Order: sequence, then structure tokens, then C-alpha cells
Amino acid sequence: MINWVGLYTLTSREVGRFFSVYRQTVIPGLISSVLYILIFGFTLEQRISEIQGVSYTMFILPGLIMMNTLTNASSNTSSSMLQMKLLQQLPDLLTAPLSGLEISLAYIIGGTIRGMVNGILVLLVGIVLIDLPVYNPAGTLLFIFLVSWAFSSMGLVMGQIAESWDQLAMIQNFFLTPLSFLGGVFYSIKMLPDWAQNLSYFNPIYYMINGIRFMILEKSDSPVSVSLWMAILLTFLFTSLAIIMMQSGKRLKQ
Amino acid sequence: MEDLAIQIKDLKKSYKELHALKGVNINIPKGGFFGLLGPNGAGKTTTINILTGLVFKNSGNCFVFGKDTVDDYRYTRSKIGIAAQELSVDWFFSIEKLLFFQAGYYGINRTDAKYRIEQLLKKLGLDKKKESRLRQLSGGMKRRFQIAKALVHDPDILILDEPTAGVDVELRHELWDYLKELHSNGKTILLTTHYIEEAELLCDNVSIIDEGEILKEGSPKKLTEDLGKSGVTVQLAKEIDELKIPILEKNYSIENSRMHFSVKNPEQAIPKIIQELTSKNITIHSIKTETSSLEDVFLELTGKSLNE
Repeated sequence: MINWVGLYTLTSREVGRFFSVYRQTVIPGLISSVLYILIFGFTLEQRISEIQGVSYTMFILPGLIMMNTLTNASSNTSSSMLQMKLLQQLPDLLTAPLSGLEISLAYIIGGTIRGMVNGILVLLVGIVLIDLPVYNPAGTLLFIFLVSWAFSSMGLVMGQIAESWDQLAMIQNFFLTPLSFLGGVFYSIKMLPDWAQNLSYFNPIYYMINGIRFMILEKSDSPVSVSLWMAILLTFLFTSLAIIMMQSGKRLKQ
Repeated sequence: MEDLAIQIKDLKKSYKELHALKGVNINIPKGGFFGLLGPNGAGKTTTINILTGLVFKNSGNCFVFGKDTVDDYRYTRSKIGIAAQELSVDWFFSIEKLLFFQAGYYGINRTDAKYRIEQLLKKLGLDKKKESRLRQLSGGMKRRFQIAKALVHDPDILILDEPTAGVDVELRHELWDYLKELHSNGKTILLTTHYIEEAELLCDNVSIIDEGEILKEGSPKKLTEDLGKSGVTVQLAKEIDELKIPILEKNYSIENSRMHFSVKNPEQAIPKIIQELTSKNITIHSIKTETSSLEDVFLELTGKSLNE
């Protein structure tokens, strides 16, 4: 039996938490995306030739959407969980009649909503500022959703493991950001030497970026089906891991 | 077992080499007011944390109204409200909102929670602060908020971990009155404390715990009677060597001109002592009574003070 009211309450707490500080959680991603568009669109674009038949600004926009989506989704769950630990709020959840599954789902849904809000806002900026053609709107939303869910789950794993803000920042700076940049946000991997291209295939974010690029621009370095399966696989893996960890409680209880 | 609100059986917990709990047994009947008394680090919070699901046990069992706290955690947790010792912090929401969240975790929807939250805020003097964030509240208000949070789902059992630690005298008395009221309304209460006065005044039963072991349990009165050292000390006008006082014969010691009578109720014993001594023409210089407290019992049992 599921504690539906409990699940709904914790989810709305998670969503309310990031909306209450939207200046930190929604606006920054929007500003940086607008800055990328302005800088690349009005300065560099004249010097960089088209990639895969589209202008450079248009080419990078799906990647920006993905980057914004996954960083926001993962940081929502990871920072909220760590904050709960450090501010002594976690006992409220762990002593309530909530299962590990319910707590995990509430966190993951909260992070997914933040990821989607951020991703969709950048998508809208692209549509308004550079007439981004959205070749497959449903597919675009599906990718934003899957990536939000997958990285929200990953953030929940990180949040359970981390003991300090420093550790969390380390995972973010040494793992998530480099993988996003190396996943082909700003370039097509076809522009890389062979060894670097081969290495890119091991980067899961590469598939996320190419998947959404295909849904928006109908351009991709690899088949969209592979990207889709990769997104589903990542979602499944991280969700399972986050829930199993939460149910065992080993990182949260003594 | 159904008559017991809480039953803890042979509970053991170790942290690496430290044996935090060495087989704790506690029974609390429905409607009881129970105190777990011990110095810092005795194992009070660990016991509570295992009972409420915050800490893993090594062995033993905890039952709430006859149900295991691990196997039937949804049931047992719904029956318990906890006011933790550590005050939590929240930057994002008003205290009223936090109470709605807390009620929600226990499966109570907004409409049902609304009236109860209003009543609790009013009762605990927080109604004018309901829009405030936790950090804007004074220490005493935060403590009251903890209690409101513990009561928001109207639990049958209230667990309070050091509820009056760091609280001023006035608020301490207010909280005591409120706890008495809750108890008289049928709530079972378990509190941990290292304030003797608190345990003596509120609890109908206490367990004295130290270094992870329950040393003694019983009502505060019985414990002090059985283990306390109360008595009457009589300073005589001059030294005497030997004397016989049949009634109190076995209960006194004498050292120079000072006599000590070990009695359970010193006040009642005084007239008898005076009568005996004067009947034997012994002149009394002064009389002093000593009433032992739980503190003395604790000292006797553990060799240390509760505040150590």
C-alpha cells in the first residue's frame, strides 16, 4: 500500500523548495543560455561555418537545453538531500510512515520537474530568439523528461553518498560538467580525431545531447534509437540505484 | 503485550568497538509516563532512535502496541510523535507550512490537518508566528514548534528527547504543565532527561540507564525509598558512649556526639527520635534531616552525577 498523501506532500515540498528560490534555481540557467546565444549568435557565428547544415547557434542550442536540464535535475535532488542531512530535517522523513520507495519517488519527481522547467525554458528561448525549428515536439519533450528523471535519480544517489557540500561540488565539477562539455554540446564529434570520437561513445551524455538534437533539428551523430535506448537505460539504472540505496538506508542511518 | 504501548526487548547496538546498548529492556504500559534517565552518552537517544527507525539495531526487538517497529513500521511510526533533541532548521517554508508537510508525511490531507494545526499553534503560543521561518523564532519557540510537530498527527505515543534542555525556567514549567495535560488526556509519554526534577515530577516510572545498561527501574518514589539514603542527623550536646533506643535500635550510627538515623521518612521519624532521646535524658543540640532524591539514587548506582 502506498502512502499517497505522504508521497504527494513530499513531492510538493521538493517542488515548492526550488520555486521559492527561483532566482537560484531557474533564472541562472536561463541567463547563461541567453548569453551563449548572444555571444555565439552575434559574434562567433560569422566565423564558424555551419555544422551539419545548420547555423552554429542553432546547433548548440539542443545541447544547452540538455546541459541545463541535467544539471538542474541532478542538483535539485543532491542538494536537497544533503541539506536535509545537514540541517537535521532528515529524521522527520525517516521517522514518518514513508517507505524508501515513496521518499525516492518524491525526490526524483521534484528534481524531474525542475529539470523539465529549466529545459523547456531554454527551448522556448531558442524558439523565440533564433526561430529554433522543433522537428518533433513530442520526442523533444520525451527526451527532456527522460534525462530529467535519470539525472534527478543520479542526484539522489549523490545526495545520499555526499557528507558535505565540498564532496557534492567535486562530483559536479569533476564529473558532470566535463562529461556535458565533452558530450558534444559545442561540436559534432565528427570534428574530433578518431580516438576522441571513440572515447565519446562511452560518455552517456553524448547520447542525450544527440538524441534531443535529432528531435529538434533532425541532425545527429548517432542513430536516435540508440540515444533513446541509452536514455531509458540510464533512467532505469539510476532510478533503481537511488531507490535501493534509500530503502537500505545505509547512507542515511547509523 | 497489547496493554503495552512500548516494549523494548534485549536491544543491543554497537558502533565499532563502542557498545552503545548492551541489552536494554523497557516496558511502558498504555497511558504511562515514562522517563529514561541517564547522563549524556548513556544510550538514551540511541534507544529512542532505534525505536523510531533512525538507527539500525544489532539485535533485540522493539514493539509498539504489540507490533514490531521494523516489520510493521508504517503502523508503529504512525502511532508515535517525536520531538527530537536536535532542533532542525529550514530556510524555505513558514512554520505553518512545515506543520502541513509533517501532517502530510503521516497521510493526513490538508483539510483534515488545518483545524489541528490551528489548535496546536494556538495552544503552544505560536499562532502569531505562523508565517515566520524557523530561524526567526527564539530558542523557546523552536522547542515549542518541535512539540507541535510531534503532535500534528495526533499520535497515541509522544516521545520527547530532552524536551527542556537549554530552556528557561518559565518555559520549562509551561512545558511540564502541557505534558501533564497531554498525559491526562490519555497519551503515553516517553521522555529522556538528565533533569532529576523533571523525572520526579512527571514520570510514573523511570529507568536509570548508564553505559548502555538499564541499572534500575521503578517509580521515582520507590527508587528513592529503596535505594536512597535519607535520614536524620542529631547533634548531641555532649559526647556519649553507648545508649539503647529500642524502637530505632537498628537504624542508627554514632560518632562522637553525632548520631545518624537511617529512616525512609525523616520528617515522620523526628518526633519519635526526640521522644526517645529526651526520655533518656540526652540533650539535643540540633537536628538535621536529609531526604534523598533520584539524584542520590543515581549517584549510588553509577558513582557519577547525572550532569557528568
